Amino acid sequence: MTNTALQVTGVTKYFGGLAALDGVEAAIDAGKISAIIGPNGAGKTTLFNLITGVYPFTVGEISYQGTSLKKLPAHKRTQMGIARTFQNILLFPHMTCLENVMVGQHTRSRYGFFEAALRLPKSRKEEEAVNLKAMKYLNLAGLGMKAEQDAMSLPLGQQKLLAVARALASEPSLLLLDEPGAGLNKLEKMELSDLIRRIREMGITVLLVEHDMELVMGLAEWIFVLDSGKKIAEGTASQIQRDPKVISAYLGEEVEYVES
Amino acid sequence: MMNVERLQRFNWRPVAIGFLLVLLLLMPFNWFMGQYTTLLVFIGLHTMVTVGLCLLLGYTGQVSLGQAAFYGLGAYFSAVLSKTYGVNPWLAMIIGAIATGTFAYVIAYPIFRLKGNYLAMATLGLGIIMYVLFRQMAQYTGGPDGMGGIPQLAIGSFVFDTPFKRYYLVWFFCLSILLLSQNIVNSRTGRALRAIHGSEAASASLGINVAQFKMKIFVLAAVYASLAGSLFVHHLSFVNPQPFGFLGSVMIVVMAVVGGLASIWGAIFGAAMVRILSDELLLRFGELDIVIYGLILMLVMIFTPEGLFVRLKSYYRRWQTGRLGEVEL
Ligand SMILES: Nc1ncnc2c1ncn2[C@@H]1O[C@H](COP(=O)(O)OP(=O)(O)OP(=O)(O)O)[C@@H](O)[C@H]1O
Ligand SMILES: [Mg+2]
Repeated sequence: MTNTALQVTGVTKYFGGLAALDGVEAAIDAGKISAIIGPNGAGKTTLFNLITGVYPFTVGEISYQGTSLKKLPAHKRTQMGIARTFQNILLFPHMTCLENVMVGQHTRSRYGFFEAALRLPKSRKEEEAVNLKAMKYLNLAGLGMKAEQDAMSLPLGQQKLLAVARALASEPSLLLLDEPGAGLNKLEKMELSDLIRRIREMGITVLLVEHDMELVMGLAEWIFVLDSGKKIAEGTASQIQRDPKVISAYLGEEVEYVES
Repeated sequence: MMNVERLQRFNWRPVAIGFLLVLLLLMPFNWFMGQYTTLLVFIGLHTMVTVGLCLLLGYTGQVSLGQAAFYGLGAYFSAVLSKTYGVNPWLAMIIGAIATGTFAYVIAYPIFRLKGNYLAMATLGLGIIMYVLFRQMAQYTGGPDGMGGIPQLAIGSFVFDTPFKRYYLVWFFCLSILLLSQNIVNSRTGRALRAIHGSEAASASLGINVAQFKMKIFVLAAVYASLAGSLFVHHLSFVNPQPFGFLGSVMIVVMAVVGGLASIWGAIFGAAMVRILSDELLLRFGELDIVIYGLILMLVMIFTPEGLFVRLKSYYRRWQTGRLGEVEL
């Protein structure tokens, strides 16, 4: 028996008159790599935003390890072990790579205003620990050499890896990755796959939104397919590839690509 | 090669700070800059207010066009409590800081639901309302004419009764605040503030309580300003609403911008530049001063958005590394 880490039940989210999500059900298994795929505008990012508390939702329920997330503010969900990356990366500019990852450690150190202002020993000890941990996650993403560089000076591929390292630094049990492969070249995508597998080996549940089918099919043990806010299929890679509903949803998208 | 490395690694920071300290220590003596002691006191007071705004605007990215209101609150709490009610001036100062901080705390949550231009408008409105209150509550504040005869600060029998003595008092407070702020900036809290500036969504996703940090830094900035206001009235033994209006808030913004919004020590530079300008030069321009502040603000934002002080520092660095380059050849 596998147990469910994240349970999404009947979640519906309207933006104005548009249902970005419509009665979505999903059970994400603990310790596995799962993926959400679907055409542009299917509601994938919206689902991430509801899980992490960027937007509130009223209809349906999302629970993590049996606890409802509905009323928790975003920052408390991090403390419960949920971390994410963003489709548009959102690194912190004017901060080095190391500092970016150190922010990720925010919930893992406690000292506050007072200890910081007076530089009490507690603050210095914790700072050292944070620094070491951050270096560890930077190295994990292969960016140890870039520690002192400004985050925004990295090429896109490394920025994406840095965002993963930053999220990992919060020491999550569930990691949500929103299109980590977008804009990466072949080699970078291989490195990314490798990193994601290592994250899984660390015992972290991974939920991935991705358009690159090769990447998804190679990594994901379970795949959910969204289209226009509805879940139209779920299953293993081979089940999904044969599903006529999925094929027609993607055929529709390919026509759009040709037009644009 | 060895030599170059040692040169590069040499940390000028303690030297610069040591030099600044010696300068600050000696400036009020008559053989040095004694005739400017009052100006130097005002620079110290305004530095305290400016550092608060640097933390709020430069580090956290939250604008306030009403900082003079908190400066004024501290001033009037101290003036009214110590003069009218005979409260010990130090106690009045503490009560003022607590009350002003509490006020900032209460308005922080509603005000920070706003962002960008709306936040600017709201804080502007706050400043104007407080200014009107300082003027209108004449039975307490003395109204537009102000109130005099405010007692002086003292430690035991040592009374801060000359500008010379008050200079050291004010700069003691000022440097303490700069040091505390510097420590805050280089800490977990400072990182969180800069992260909030960069992206609130990403900050929240890493467990940062965005609203709470904004509130805390807003309160801290208000307390800094309040302490400065208290010292201000005990320095002059007089208070009127004039420094705490819109122009006062604009001056603080210009100081922060000139010093470099994200630079703690730049606040001294910004406060000094603007105070020298306003006390020594702008008097001749009368009502035109607001136009000149506007102009400075525009020019700095266009040509050195990181702040004049920070720009000069980076020129110095480049000059220094240029020199090092020659040595290497
Ligand atoms: N904040 C918002 N306000 C209004 N509409 C929104 C908002 N966020 C998303 N939407 C709409 O909801 C729908 C789903 O968007 P979402 O970003 O979740 O899609 P997606 O599956 O992530 O697409 P993509 O693959 O392009 O990233 C889209 O039609 C989008 O325009
Ligand atoms: Mg998306």
